[in-house]
Amino acid sequence: MAANRPLFIPVILGTPRKGRASENVARFVHGEVQKRQGVETELVDICELRLPTNDAGEAIKQPEFSATVMRADALVLVVPEYNHGYPGLLKHALDTNLKEYIHKAVGVCGVSAGPWGGTRVIESLLPVLRELGLVTIFWDGNFPSARQLFDADGNLLDQAYVRRIDSFLNELIWMAKVLRYGREHVALD
Amino acid sequence: MAEQMRCPKCGVPMNHHAEKIDYEAALEDPAAADPALGGVLEEVFTCPGCGDTEMRRAS
Repeated sequence: MAANRPLFIPVILGTPRKGRASENVARFVHGEVQKRQGVETELVDICELRLPTNDAGEAIKQPEFSATVMRADALVLVVPEYNHGYPGLLKHALDTNLKEYIHKAVGVCGVSAGPWGGTRVIESLLPVLRELGLVTIFWDGNFPSARQLFDADGNLLDQAYVRRIDSFLNELIWMAKVLRYGREHVALD
Repeated sequence: MAEQMRCPKCGVPMNHHAEKIDYEAALEDPAAADPALGGVLEEVFTCPGCGDTEMRRAS
């Protein structure tokens, strides 16, 4: 029964900043996930979660977001690099769940204005994802000079990114399938 | 032996695939803490039918 369920891989846009270049990246990656057979997806914009800031963690769990993560077999995080780190609101949002993440796959697409494609933010995010119980893949999406990658309508200008994200998703989907089988059928000794 | 965990949505037996230490729970309830681990051990289960995940304290 479980093997027949489509995989569910939401794409999380990890910044609320106005004018964010990451939105084009998230829409592009979301579109590529939508093309995959046997995979369902949705685009989650963390600025629409409306999380309170006078508390944190599971105390402010947002039911719809939790249900999305619970249903997920893997996550794609689209994360800009701000001052070499991740956006605070992304951490705030991720911290609202725990059991929903455990032994699920995650891939990160880093976005930067400069030439490094978010490599530093990806590296700084890895220990957070590990502590949440997520399993990181060893492909990343890297989107350097993000403002030059898309036209004014949000269309991708360099088709090489299609090939790169294809490989990223191949790895993520493989890990999602393996971990789903493990969660549902492989018990701890 | 611990009671079989059943999915609250479909009723089928769930698979125990992970454990996590909750250190904050140990501050609130020191008696529940595992002395070797320094925290309360939580067991993680996933339903092979619907994919739901649940946690409970290890007994």
